[in-house]
Amino acid sequence: MKVIYSDLISFLEQNPTKEDLSNKLFQLGHEHEIDGEVFNMELTPNRGDCLSVKGLARDLYAFFGKSKPTFFFEGCYDDLKLDFHNLSTLDCPKISFLEIHINKPTNNYKHYLDNYFKVLNLSKTNFFSDISNFISYELGQPTHCYDANSLKSNLVFENKKSNEKFKTLLDSDIRLEGKNSIFSSGNEIISLAGVMGGKKTSCSENTTKVLIECAFFNPESIAGKSIKYGLKSDAAHKFERGVDPSSQEYVLRRFTEIIKDHTEIISAKFCSYDYGQVPITQINFNEKRINKILGTNITKKEYKDYLCALSFDVKEQITVPSFRHDIKNQNDLAEEVARLIGYNNIESESITLPKIEQQSNINIQKLRSFLVKTGFSEVINFPFSEKKNKISLSIDNPLDSNKGNLRLTLEDSLLGNVSYNLRRQKDSIKFFEISDIYSKDTNLLQETYLGIVATGRVGHNHNDFAKKIDIIYLKSLFHGFFNDSEFKVKEITSNSLGLKTKDRIFFIEIKISDIDNSFFDDIEIEAKKINFIQYQKISEFPASTRDISFSIKNLSEVQNVIDYFDQVKSSDLNECFMFDFYKNDKSLEVKMGYRFIFKSNTKTLTENHINESLLKLINAVLQIDGVSVPGL
Amino acid sequence: MSSLDNINPPFFKKNGNLHPIAQTKDFLLELLRKHGFVEVHGPEIETEKFNFDMLNIKESHPARQMHDTFYVDDMEMVLRTHTSPVQIRSMLSTKPPLAFSSAGKVYRKDDDATHLPMFHQVEGIYVDENINFSNLKDLIHKIIYSIFGDDVQIRFRPSYFPFTEPSAEVDILSDSGSWLEILGCGIVNPIVLNNCNIDSKVYSGLAFGLGVERIAMLKYGVNDIREFYKSNLDFLEQFK
Repeated sequence: MKVIYSDLISFLEQNPTKEDLSNKLFQLGHEHEIDGEVFNMELTPNRGDCLSVKGLARDLYAFFGKSKPTFFFEGCYDDLKLDFHNLSTLDCPKISFLEIHINKPTNNYKHYLDNYFKVLNLSKTNFFSDISNFISYELGQPTHCYDANSLKSNLVFENKKSNEKFKTLLDSDIRLEGKNSIFSSGNEIISLAGVMGGKKTSCSENTTKVLIECAFFNPESIAGKSIKYGLKSDAAHKFERGVDPSSQEYVLRRFTEIIKDHTEIISAKFCSYDYGQVPITQINFNEKRINKILGTNITKKEYKDYLCALSFDVKEQITVPSFRHDIKNQNDLAEEVARLIGYNNIESESITLPKIEQQSNINIQKLRSFLVKTGFSEVINFPFSEKKNKISLSIDNPLDSNKGNLRLTLEDSLLGNVSYNLRRQKDSIKFFEISDIYSKDTNLLQETYLGIVATGRVGHNHNDFAKKIDIIYLKSLFHGFFNDSEFKVKEITSNSLGLKTKDRIFFIEIKISDIDNSFFDDIEIEAKKINFIQYQKISEFPASTRDISFSIKNLSEVQNVIDYFDQVKSSDLNECFMFDFYKNDKSLEVKMGYRFIFKSNTKTLTENHINESLLKLINAVLQIDGVSVPGL
Repeated sequence: MSSLDNINPPFFKKNGNLHPIAQTKDFLLELLRKHGFVEVHGPEIETEKFNFDMLNIKESHPARQMHDTFYVDDMEMVLRTHTSPVQIRSMLSTKPPLAFSSAGKVYRKDDDATHLPMFHQVEGIYVDENINFSNLKDLIHKIIYSIFGDDVQIRFRPSYFPFTEPSAEVDILSDSGSWLEILGCGIVNPIVLNNCNIDSKVYSGLAFGLGVERIAMLKYGVNDIREFYKSNLDFLEQFK
């Protein structure tokens, strides 16, 4: 909700600066951003009463006082004889109507009205609708304007099932479904109550006789309707959060005053229907309870003053203002007091809970620790899948159709992870995921699974580089982990993933509860302190690889070469590791093969650039006695 | 014996990595454990009763609508939207005083640059006699100092959660001078205690919840939440 600064302070006795206002709004829990003269408010859903200039100002009275009330029509209305039938009084417990006949509409607005459209960059529609929008902004009560001449004899409100078509005043065609609160006239739906009126009865720039509807709708009967029908409606936003049932006459008098301020009124007729079903909330005055909830020590008088500043009526009982639908109990009142004191001004009071030694899910922690030590990296995937079978759980409202079910296996997710990395030139991939899997036969079944996927080289070191991951390797890793009969490795062809890699891809999945308990007995978890490293943005540009073989004839320098490449750094060097080590007894030399993987964060590297970078890296090593690159 | 016999290259066998979100979650759980919270577990697929009703989230609350919550099994169940139902289940089976932490995946029907349909929460609840808002502030200060250091500036703002009253959101002051939202907390709404058969006239409670991705992004300096779930090896390998 956007509020103009000058409008807000016009409701306050003092003239606080934007900064003063901002500080107090934050103290009260009203998040916002300031854009020039406009406060862009983000209000919590329980504070429907603050969705207007007056509503917001009301919360600020405690700090900045209350200005004189805005002008409203103080004259007498004629009685409006309306053939109105409310068939669902629980959904609309109170409603008022004002019929106004004017001489001529105008579009020459007074400053306060014009400024609202100008500063908030809003489009004008027609005289009556513009005032209706302004009133909603100023007082928080949506009103709906019917062109009185377009209405048939009677007007009916009801909450009923229907599947009729309805054209809104914004020209969108909707088909009603299920139960809706509607107004109809002459058996024709003229308004989706609390959301949007219809095209046929809407006002135009030529309307001179208007019927203004001002209602309190039960929030439950409006909730969700605007989203259901794809209608953006400020009125629905307010009705869903609750408007002030006691303000209807005041709102319509303010409406009348603004019309009167702009044009001549020929007649003004009013009627109101109160079905006595809007409850008044009363709560015991109990400052001890408030102090107990907050840990404060406020006096009775202070408590009373806080509540009065927020328009509560405080006697032996506290009567909650009719616009505060969020206040129901002592805790709600405690929050009101805390907001005025300021959460940050309430002292902390030390609390110590008894210490515990328990560490839960120890086997899962051991399993993760084991897998990491074995070279596997943990991944976490979303559980959504397009695959479905008779025990799948379907999502009734999926994000899209290929995410319409909960996965029954970790396989597809993990293979997706492999594909993603193979496409990024990764040649050694070892992932695991531990996750709950849900299915439904007769009952809902929740089981925790471990999924493992591996492909490519065993590792990036001189021992493992030439070895490819295969079943023997996997068996050697997980020996004792599975019973041999349960050790089922699935091999997936790269073709099935749309990949050209020749490396074999293996997938293993096992229920955690099937893992032999003795496996966990042998694993110790190392107490590891988390290291919150500063993440370096990863590159999406292609990598380029260079392999260099070094000959070292001065054997005392072997370690220096290894140390150098262990620590070497360059902005474009993504990875560097020894992939081959060979001792030649005859020539008494050591040969070491190093792989350099270059990748830039900002561009695709050219051959020249890579060669220059490589030369810089290896030149330092070539200065070491006895080190050469054969053939260079 | 040749002079080459003594030359052996170091054998660097690279470990894998725990996922940064899992590491952050473990860190937070360990922190809460040290403060006396016992970890409890519960299902990711929940009934509306435990995910909403017991937590005082009324049927008309926007969170319950189809555009915010994933419904499964012909609208019979939901993918939990928070880990609070785990605490509800645990409170129903335990008499106070009690202190529980719950952590895990939660789901909301969101998918854009800053929101994911699945993310992780860590929550804590402590119920005992005479627990008040001042106690909550003390505990939250201790937790935030443990995460972000003793020098960090903290502010509390009123907020709204149906299951706590009073409710607060807590911000820390960043190096750039802007306030960053870190967690939500409050005094457990007596309606929730009564729903769990805990006499709210005798007992009161404090509760709080942290978004694991949020904490991980701040601590690691990751700007895009989606990076955590691409499973890019170059990304994952940084979090040793």
